[in-house]
Amino acid sequence: MRTFLAVAKKSLQRVWLGLRQWSGDAAYERYLECATRNGAANTLSESDFYVEQLNRRYSRPNRCC
Amino acid sequence: MKPLLKSLAWIAVALLGAGALASIAFHRGEPINATWFVVAALCCYAVAYRFYSSFIAAKLLALDNTRATPAERHDDGRDFVPTNKWVLFGHHFAAIAGPGPLIGPTLAAQFGYLPGTLWLIAGAALGGCVQDFVILFCSIRRDGKTLGQMVREEVSERGGLIAQLAVLAIMVILLASVALIVVNALKSSPWATFTLAMTVPIAMLLGIYLRYLRPGRVLEASVIGVALVLFVVIAGQWVADSPSWAKVFTLSGVTLAFAIIAYGFAASALPVWLLLAPRDYLSAFIKAGAIFSLAAGILLVRPQVLMPPLTRFVDGTGPVFAGKVFPFCFITIACGAVSGFHSLIASGTTPKMIQREFHARFIGYGAMLLESFVGVMAMVAACAMPPGVYFAINSPSSIVGASPEAATQTISSWGYPVTAERMSQLAHSVGELTLFNRAGGAPSLAVGMAQIFSSTIGGDRLLSIWYHFAIMFEALFILTVLDAGTRVGRFMVQELAGRVWKPIGRMNWMPGILLSSGLIVALWGYFLYQGVVDPLGGINSLWPLFGIANQLLASVALVLATTIMMKMGRMKWIWVTLLPMAWLLIVTITASYQKIFSPVPRIGFLANANVLAAQIAAGNIPAAKIADTHRLIFNQRLDAAVTFVLASMILILLVEALGQWYAILSGRKNAVLQETPYVASQWVEGD
Repeated sequence: MRTFLAVAKKSLQRVWLGLRQWSGDAAYERYLECATRNGAANTLSESDFYVEQLNRRYSRPNRCC
Repeated sequence: MKPLLKSLAWIAVALLGAGALASIAFHRGEPINATWFVVAALCCYAVAYRFYSSFIAAKLLALDNTRATPAERHDDGRDFVPTNKWVLFGHHFAAIAGPGPLIGPTLAAQFGYLPGTLWLIAGAALGGCVQDFVILFCSIRRDGKTLGQMVREEVSERGGLIAQLAVLAIMVILLASVALIVVNALKSSPWATFTLAMTVPIAMLLGIYLRYLRPGRVLEASVIGVALVLFVVIAGQWVADSPSWAKVFTLSGVTLAFAIIAYGFAASALPVWLLLAPRDYLSAFIKAGAIFSLAAGILLVRPQVLMPPLTRFVDGTGPVFAGKVFPFCFITIACGAVSGFHSLIASGTTPKMIQREFHARFIGYGAMLLESFVGVMAMVAACAMPPGVYFAINSPSSIVGASPEAATQTISSWGYPVTAERMSQLAHSVGELTLFNRAGGAPSLAVGMAQIFSSTIGGDRLLSIWYHFAIMFEALFILTVLDAGTRVGRFMVQELAGRVWKPIGRMNWMPGILLSSGLIVALWGYFLYQGVVDPLGGINSLWPLFGIANQLLASVALVLATTIMMKMGRMKWIWVTLLPMAWLLIVTITASYQKIFSPVPRIGFLANANVLAAQIAAGNIPAAKIADTHRLIFNQRLDAAVTFVLASMILILLVEALGQWYAILSGRKNAVLQETPYVASQWVEGD
């Protein structure tokens, strides 16, 4: 039973993480992780990152017919 | 033992698929159950994915998992982000799945269920999925370069320019076509108009929330947004029931067209975080929910398909749009089978996020199979309603007659019985004043979806709610395509115009933004207006133009794919991209020729213009309508010119490519690939 609950919890966590990544909810966290890994000196604030990301995404075809 | 069992299982899947396909192909007389469609589609997809896509991956593309992808090499947390393959599949599918796979099959149902269903399944497995997969692979091997850049580098400079112009052309015609569908869905419907109008302030509210209150918290904002949207779907009924408010939201086609043009301009010129992005979030969640609900509904309800396999309209005399089953079925259903627009997505964001080359098969080929399945479900939803009802909703009054009695009499005389009482009862039960003359596919799809949903939850009591939910869902994500497309079109106009006059090319110069937004909106707005005032319903001229433009782009993508495969020395397997390319060229050129030169006025733009001119010359047009008729003549000639330009672009590109191929094959030119050099992946298998 304990194993089943642990597996179920892990699966739900993975689904939740996937949903956050798909929706863009986790984008800023990933950006910070990447910046830390690359040793970037300056990072954008959450609000600035959000606007910058949207401007980039909607300047090229990203929705089909 | 295991391989033998596996082989037996795959043989069983193939036999089941073949049996189901044979059932829907040879079934005559009695209605057929929709389960056969689902089984046929799923088995064909399974076999195509397991065998054909793995053959392409191994033999044609030789995918290499030891090679670092652009996401690994440039990982910057912004553009280049290594992403889990399931998450990226979701991203890619959300990007490629628009209104096309729902609307195209609904319109093509006028030929009967068979041609469209076969084209959806075979076209996707052998054409659309191949295009998406190969272009995705090519872009991965070139640091995520766009289709236009790759055509310029691998085919020719001129080819690159053609690709750029083709994208702009398809954008303009696509936006006009989808806007026309929204106009026809909202015309004289206060409930639907109110619901959709309310999504604008809801999106702006979410925009402010996401920008200033909780930056980037997309999930929680979307939950709030979806709840508000569902509330306004229900509130729409109160508006429709209130005589004073119903009057405010009962709008004519022309008024709606101008409202949508104004909306497109605002969405293009306003900051992206305020309107466009939050609407896109709302749309993505509602789209995913509605598509999966439709699939579940069809599986639960297993409706009978009442439309015959082939109707009398395969001869080209159909009321929904004119033209024979060949070539018009194949350009009417573009998205869902083969869509050139997908190549822009496959060479846009997706290649920059892919973790491993092997994932390209699942994402490129697999996501397109899922889109094809959406198309098959739309076909089932359209064909599950009685054919007489389908034709009554989708036929323009100029063909079937203006009054309900005349329309039902004409449609019944075709062998598809329907009565004015039946239509009135149906309109009443879905909360509409009338369902006649609602060309465009959206209302009939909404009726089909509402019937399936209400058979699962709520029964007839909730039919009107489900109908307006379906209309809202279609209109919401059509508007998302419209505003995102207008904005991208604005960037293209700025880029092209910036070559002539530099200031307009500056992306942060407000007069440039307003001017270019105005120009792109005026371009598609003109075609939209033309469609709204067209007595044949607009769809008859605009949707084929859209199909031709979209398949032109698919031809561009497949020409590029074939050229690259030739340069890679894969001559033995070149037919994989060459055959779908040849088929699309035949279809597109035949359709273009017929749309320009057919002597049948409903098909040929020039013939229609000549008939109208002759009517003016013979004095058959009342004086008050002469100016309108002159405008119609101009529009028909303009459509002929646009079709001619599109077809010419295909032919020029083909000549360019043939020259390249001849030079490579004859050894006059070295086959130089513009791939980025090999870099070994640092990730271990299973990362």
